[in-house]
Amino acid sequence: MGDLVRLALPLAIVAPVAAMVFVGLRVLLADGRPRETVVYRLVMSGLGVSVAASAVVLLRFLGVFGAPVAGEIEFGSWLRVHDFEMPLVLLVDRVSVTISLFAAVLTVLVGRFSRTYLHQDPGFIRFFVLLGFFATGTQLIALAGALELFFAGWEMVGIASAMFIGYFHERDEPVRSSVRAFATYRFSDAGLLIATVTTFELLGSARFSALERAGTLPVGEATIIALLFLLSAMGKSAQLPFSGWLPRAMEGPTPSSALFYGAVSIHAGLFLLLRVWPVLEVSIVARAAGVAVGLATAVYAAAVARVHTDAKGALAHATLAQVGLILAEICLGWITLALVHLVCHALLRLGQYLKAPNMIHDAHRLGHGPHAPALLERWSPRLAARLYAAALHRLRLDDKIDVTFAPVLGLARALDRTDAALRRVLSLDGPRA
Amino acid sequence: MRTLLSAPAPWESLVFCLLLVVAPVVAAEWRQARWTLAVLAGAIVTALFSGDGTIAYAAIAVAALGHAVDAWPATRTGAAALVVSGGLALATGLALAAGQLTAAFVLSTLAVAVRAGVWPLNAGTASLCERAPVVQTQQLASLIALVFVHLRFVDHHLEAVALAPTVVRLGALAALIGALLSLVQRDLRGFYRATTSMHGGLILAALGAASHGNFAAALLVTVAGGLALGGLGITITSLEERVGAVRFTRPGGRAHGLPRLAAAFALFGAAGVAMPGTAGFVADDLILHTLWMESPASTVAVILASAMLAVATLICYSAVFLGKAAVLAAPDLAARERVVATALLALLLGLGVAPAWLLGPADAFLSVVPVTAQLPPGGGR
Repeated sequence: MGDLVRLALPLAIVAPVAAMVFVGLRVLLADGRPRETVVYRLVMSGLGVSVAASAVVLLRFLGVFGAPVAGEIEFGSWLRVHDFEMPLVLLVDRVSVTISLFAAVLTVLVGRFSRTYLHQDPGFIRFFVLLGFFATGTQLIALAGALELFFAGWEMVGIASAMFIGYFHERDEPVRSSVRAFATYRFSDAGLLIATVTTFELLGSARFSALERAGTLPVGEATIIALLFLLSAMGKSAQLPFSGWLPRAMEGPTPSSALFYGAVSIHAGLFLLLRVWPVLEVSIVARAAGVAVGLATAVYAAAVARVHTDAKGALAHATLAQVGLILAEICLGWITLALVHLVCHALLRLGQYLKAPNMIHDAHRLGHGPHAPALLERWSPRLAARLYAAALHRLRLDDKIDVTFAPVLGLARALDRTDAALRRVLSLDGPRA
Repeated sequence: MRTLLSAPAPWESLVFCLLLVVAPVVAAEWRQARWTLAVLAGAIVTALFSGDGTIAYAAIAVAALGHAVDAWPATRTGAAALVVSGGLALATGLALAAGQLTAAFVLSTLAVAVRAGVWPLNAGTASLCERAPVVQTQQLASLIALVFVHLRFVDHHLEAVALAPTVVRLGALAALIGALLSLVQRDLRGFYRATTSMHGGLILAALGAASHGNFAAALLVTVAGGLALGGLGITITSLEERVGAVRFTRPGGRAHGLPRLAAAFALFGAAGVAMPGTAGFVADDLILHTLWMESPASTVAVILASAMLAVATLICYSAVFLGKAAVLAAPDLAARERVVATALLALLLGLGVAPAWLLGPADAFLSVVPVTAQLPPGGGR
């Protein structure tokens, strides 16, 4: 039965992307647009296989059909050159099997919902192709046994997320939001990549099992690695000061918002911290920073959620507040509570996001309750008004980030002018027609 | 014949080079003189298979001259840079023959830098990108051959190891500058130029890091970059044949009318910024570990450069293809263009999933020090 797990694990990862490749090849090589039904069935087959495979892994982990299977499962090397190896190793443990099946089931449900929701939408094929890509990314994140594989999944989820945000690309705002989200992702990805390389060099391996030796590292080095992991998690999970991209991400279609920013993607940063807990555990500084960031984000997001006037924007900030709390729980070492909180929260938000388009209808049906002044409004109307304005403008986080990065763009423009001058001096050509 | 095919030889590298030579001819229906094509193919085969460094570098010089002949009508700057690079390759061969390995290393590194468009030696390549993207795509084939020859003949001695940190730092800095340039480009050719420059820096850094024996990593970086840039060059040429020069003044909205072209551009762009599943992802990961040994700061610079290029690529894609649907009379990718794009993408994905296919044989081949690359008794410095 051990062989069943060896078959099921890669199948859970590869099946969705294989379906996506089939659809992609059909679009690229054949004439004419494939029918919706064909695309839907192909991608849903891949997602269905992924669910079945994840379920098999869970059953085997629980000891159904034989002795329980747990730990690292080796599939050779992705790459081996001299003493450097990128191992193809997957991890079967309590966290990985839970997240793997959970993500696979949610993705299938959202796929089914989207067939009706996006019927005859011009981007129907694109949506399902990206859904397959995303599903493989989440399975890699859930099951990876080494940081390199995890990073591959992490990147795939980021790319899919940016593409979904820019889904309605005929309007300018979704495109701008997509670029901003992607820039935040890449910045935080850089942190994860540096942490991965550093971990490999200091511990001799980037396997999650090698992180158990983090206690042998000098505290300074462990703290740097832990802070880099925390930075990556903050970007992916939209924690302060990177929260600005999340409300913008609501430009995407509702099913993808539900899957990404309600259920799966927004929690990926937290999952990373659960995975690298041995490093985080060593560094008090990183844990304290995580608690501070999580709580600050929770307060900020709760305030913004109260003043948001659109359903998805308010939901996004409500989500963010809970994600901030989960981050604080993880950094306080309450791992089991965090895992339960994460799963329950994801389920609740998925339902709420999918129901968001009906919210106006529900409000009409249920009516509005009268607005009673809050304690702060009664105690200090002036302070309440200021807080209201600050929350309404989301503390102008995006503007502050723009100001921070303005010198980088200034340097880029200066370099561009220098480059143009150099090329002009060396040019033997006349002006371009 | 059977013995020849089974002998250790860089067959895999040859496949990539020849594909890049043929790709623009097929995709762009470029009426390149048959003799030029034959000379290029012959020069690349000679460079890859010759056991003598002087002959290999002479073949690289011939290939550079072949490209220069093609480039001349469109850009004299590009042609001149190719001639200079050819001259440097020839000089490297002569230095090798004289046993001057340090001189050979410096000359060969310069030849690579000029061909790869490493900032600030990028005037020629920039001209090729802007005025003759078809030649630029094709010259990537002989750039791969040049890097291969460099790794095989001039990267095997202590002086190369001593110079490695400098080469790594210069390469990482050039990559960072290339990435910064890509962020502020206002037209498609400018983006291609800056992207090429960033990849040039990455190749240079990889060459420096290769001096410790990580030859395969440098070759993979060059091949992955070559295929992605080649694909980008072909899609840019295809697009401009249909809609003319593209500026980023407002969202182009071309994805609606040219969906396959948009998809191909997105995939080649993503491969160029190390999307998981493509050769670039493995190459980046491998080179980062290799670079770390030489200079952790350079590793961070390369990671940031890669992140910036990714953002620039998405900005470029958005500006060219997204936005309100434009009314276009031009057809989408033709069958010949689709075949070329699919072949290049298949190789990028194949190498991404199973990089050992290239790396195993290449590493075994390049790790053997050829007689001509060994230090002469008491000399070579």
